[in-house]
This record gives sequence, C-alpha cells and structure tokens, in this order.
Amino acid sequence: MSEMVKVVNGVTLPLDEDGFLQEPDKWNEQVAEAFASDEGITALTPDHWKVVNYLRDYYLKNKIAPMVRRLCKETGFTVKQIYELFPSGPAKGACKLAGLPKPTGCV
Amino acid sequence: MTYKRVKIEEVSEPAETLSETKKEELVPLPAPYDTPESTPDFKPLDAAAKERYESDLDGTIAISIPKPKDEAEERALVEKFLAGLEKLFRVEDNWTFLQPLLLTMEHCARCHTCSDSCHIYEMSGKNPIYRPAYRSEILRRLYKRFVKKGGGLLSDFRNGKIRLNWQLVARLAELSYRCNLCRRCAQTCPIGVDNGLIGHELRKLFSQELGINSKECHDLGSVQQLRVGSSTGMNALVVKDNIEFIDEDMSDKTGIEVKTPWDKEGADILLIHNAGEILAWPENPGAFGVIFEAAGLSWTMSSEIAGYDSINYGLWYDDAQFARVALHHAQAAKKLKVKKIVLGECGHAHKALTVIADRILTGDLAIPRESALTVLEEIVMGDRLKLDPSRNDFPVTLHDPCNMVRLMGIVEPQRRVLRKIAPRFREMTPHGVDNYCCGGGSGFAIMSGHNFGDWRFQVAGRKKFEQILNAFAGEMDPAIPKYVCAPCSNCKGQLRDLFTYYDLWEKHKVLYGGLVELIVNAMTDAKPGFIEWEWH
Repeated sequence: MSEMVKVVNGVTLPLDEDGFLQEPDKWNEQVAEAFASDEGITALTPDHWKVVNYLRDYYLKNKIAPMVRRLCKETGFTVKQIYELFPSGPAKGACKLAGLPKPTGCV
Repeated sequence: MTYKRVKIEEVSEPAETLSETKKEELVPLPAPYDTPESTPDFKPLDAAAKERYESDLDGTIAISIPKPKDEAEERALVEKFLAGLEKLFRVEDNWTFLQPLLLTMEHCARCHTCSDSCHIYEMSGKNPIYRPAYRSEILRRLYKRFVKKGGGLLSDFRNGKIRLNWQLVARLAELSYRCNLCRRCAQTCPIGVDNGLIGHELRKLFSQELGINSKECHDLGSVQQLRVGSSTGMNALVVKDNIEFIDEDMSDKTGIEVKTPWDKEGADILLIHNAGEILAWPENPGAFGVIFEAAGLSWTMSSEIAGYDSINYGLWYDDAQFARVALHHAQAAKKLKVKKIVLGECGHAHKALTVIADRILTGDLAIPRESALTVLEEIVMGDRLKLDPSRNDFPVTLHDPCNMVRLMGIVEPQRRVLRKIAPRFREMTPHGVDNYCCGGGSGFAIMSGHNFGDWRFQVAGRKKFEQILNAFAGEMDPAIPKYVCAPCSNCKGQLRDLFTYYDLWEKHKVLYGGLVELIVNAMTDAKPGFIEWEWH
C-alpha cells in the first residue's frame, strides 16, 4: 500500500495515490532501489537497469513513457521477461522504479 | 449475513461509514474462483489517505475529496453545492439534460426494478447504498426541498426528510463514482425513469461547481488532452513517431506494407483512435492500418490537438470539458475536408462524438461520424479481404461495450463479422443491449488510486468476470487459448487489469483483444499468427 511519501537518504518525496513519484526530476538511483524493495525485487540486476535506464532516457526526451512494444524491441526483452523482472508489469512496476509519473489516458 | 438497511436521510448522519462493502457479502463466483482464498482480500485503506480524504461512504476512495479544514470551509462547499444544484434545474444552465432529469425527479414508482438490473448492487451482495434509486432519491429530496417551488420545510413531510450538510455532499460525490453510467437501469425502468443519468448529472455538478472530479479524467485527461493533444501525453511528434514504429512492425509481421497517411486533405475517412491504443495495444491501430490498406480505403489520421485521440472523458463528468474536446474533433475533420470521421474501437468516444455532440456540431461542423464496426462489417461481408476462419480456431466470446451497444444500438455488425471469421464464437449470457458493463465504464478503467482497485475488480467487474468464466465453462484448461473480443479501449483496460487481478491469463489462458486483430489473424494475404498469445 502506498504511503503517500517516500523517504530516501533523508529526502522526503511525495507520491501520488498509486505510489508514483509526484516530481519525476527528484529521481536518482537510490530512489529506484527503494521502489524495488516495495516491488519484491531483492537486488537490481543489470537487466533491471537496462529497462530502467531506457525508460528514463525516453522519458526525459519525450516527457512520456514509451510504448511497451518499443521498450521490448529496444531492450530485447519480451513482455513476459519484463513481468519477470518487474512483477507489477511495465507501467506499475518498471515505470514507477524509473521515476516516471503514472501513465495517463486509456493505457 | 446481509447489509443493514440504510435510510435515505442517514446520508447526512456522521458515522465511520454509511455502509461498508465487505468481501464476505459479495456474490460468490463460479469455479475455480468459488473459495474465499481464490480471490484477493480487500487491502485496508491507508491511514494517511483516510486522514486526508473523505472515505465515510463505504470505506473506499475513488476521487480523493480533501477533508475541509474547518466548518467555514464546509459551509462554503455546501453553498457551492446548492448553487450547482439550482443550476442543474435551470434551462439556461442545463439545456442538454434538463428534460430527462426533470422526468426522473418527478416520476419514480419506487418499484426497484432498477436495483435488480444493476451489476454493482447485485454483485456487492446488495449493499443498499448502491441501489440506483438510493442515489436518485437523495437528489430527488434535495430538489423538492431546496429547488422546486413549494419546497421548504413542508417538503420533509411530503417527500421524506433530508438534511443538507457536508457529510451528505461528500458522500454523494463519492457515490456518483459507484456507478458505471452503463444505463442498464434506465433500460429496465418500466416508466422510463433514467437513474443512469443521475450519476452523470451529479458528477457534472461536482466538477463544474466544486472542482471535484477524478484527477485521471480531468487534470490528466481532458485538461492534458487540450494542452498537449492527447490524454496520454503524446504530442504530435511523439504520436507520429509511434505510428511509424507500429507501421514498420505491422509490415514486418504481416508482410503487407502499411504506411499511415497523416493530414491528407480530401481523404474519405478521418480515422480517430483512442490514443491509449497506440501506447498500450499497438496491434489494434496496426491492424486497422493493415485492413484499410488491404481494402483500398482512402483514409488519414490527423495531427491536430485531439485529432489523433478520440477520448472525450468529459462525457462522464463535465459538459464544458466535453464540448471543448468534441469541437476539436470536428474541427480536425473540417480542416482536412474529409467526408466522414470513423471512430476506432472505443465505446465512450462513439457515444460522445456521434450522439451527445450532435447538438453542438451543427452547420459547417456537422460532419458525418461513423462507427468502425459498420465500416469493418462492410469490408468483411463485402468480401474485400481474403479470410480463412480456420486461423481463428479457438474459443471466442464477445463483450458488448455499453456505449456502442445498449446506448447506440450497434448490435449486429460485430456479430456478423465474428460469425464469419471465428468458428468457435459463443455469446455471453446475457448479451447485446442486455449486456453487463465490464466494470470499467465511466472512467473506472483508468482509476486505481488508494483502495479503489479492489472495489473495481471485486464489485464493479464481478458480473463481467462471472459472465466470462461461464462463457468458457468446460474449456478453462490452460492448454486451450481463449479470446474475449472487446472492441473498446476502456473495456480492454478493465479486462486487462481484471484478468491480472484474478490471474486469469496465467492460470487459464484467457486473453482479451479487439475485433480488428481477429480479422487480420484470419487474412490469408497476411503471414499467419497475427495474434501472438502473449500477455499485454
């Protein structure tokens, strides 16, 4: 369950009601690690970082999350593998870790 | 165990909750979901959220109404509510819906036929506050007490007691988000009362007068759509880039060359998708491209603001937002001088642009609007594609999106197509105009904050889940892949989240998708295997 805020290294980060970062520019790698333990991920592997970094770069460029299909093509993972890496899936899992705001619209 | 009776006037009385929905009261599901352990428990509401937001309707938070900080603020909000209530009943302020609203206020026989038709009331185990008439009766008493001539104190005696305070206002606001606006109750009322409209009118009052609405539909929905171009946040550059990616992907996958035309003046058709499809289900707009190209249609997409996103969330909560977005849709079509707008597989967009917007799209904006379902029917039934139904040799059932089917009467086109291309197609019970909502209607499919998800999947989506299990009874073996055809983005969002919640794909291989994907899957000119049987 979301706690409305997340404290990472003494910094208090406000969350939305789905537990996404309210201010995506406050993200750093420790934030990803803090979200990872909520997701039940014990340690972030290079495969996790590959997904997180791709999402982060795409977001900074386009101000929106990429299509899942594009994410798969660019990282080489199938949707199933993304779910294995991030049990809550590409949006509620991977995007949250990467500090993206919650995807909007009918997605 | 059953819920205790709740009187109308109790809505104004302080209590922890007016009537909490409990898991043990819910109507049992069919096997293999028939034991308490087979479905998740309700997550308790977070203490911080409970502290900050109103939750004393049923212990669930849908729209995060901040608790007023003092009595003065409460009073100010109640005053605003009263002002909004008066506007609902003035022709200058509510010319669109005043007549059916007045008819509903004046003519309810209290027979409760509507209660039996409501999937939320039924599947909650009959929580009395979810009765369509509970909501309406509160509004009816308020109307007769505070708005209608000859009201006043005598009204309490004649029409039943009601006390207007912040408790009532906050609960009524949340209660307007315990209805999918599917209007099944309106359809069954023997005297034509439209209790389905009441949810809509209340939401409108709250949004337009008090700024209370769902953030997902308003700030991140309509407002973002008018600012950026799409409620998904895609601007014109991003959407073109994404469609180019999809075109390449589809061309590879099918062997049929697709290049989506952008802003082509004088095309016959302006195709507008729910932009969520492009991000979440790219094979849907991709399949449209394959079919339109193979059938040789003259078509285009538009890169204007809202021209590439048929979403119009205002339909569910705010007439002003609704009108703004609808005008953008029509203007995009006018600019390109197309013959008609065709709406992709999105139910609320259908109703919004073809039906409700009809009164504002006059003169030069009266551009014909058509459902993709009839366009597809014409293509498939007119033998304009070579189709091999044996490629769709798996169980298929059809979900009827309320906005297209019950509310617009588009019943047969999608069925004619399915009978032709899906040999193992079977109906749900009931179906057609008697269908049940997916449980995601009226914006719920994009709302999941706080503990609303549990309510959405265990209460609102419960009837549809039951129908789907029954449609595939005897074939739940995961060795048999199954397909729920839901030609609507919002419904698909709900089904995706519903199936995830109950682990239906992993355990029983039930997938969901649109109609166009099944058509392309049967096209012999395309490489086989368009449907990938992968969770998405």
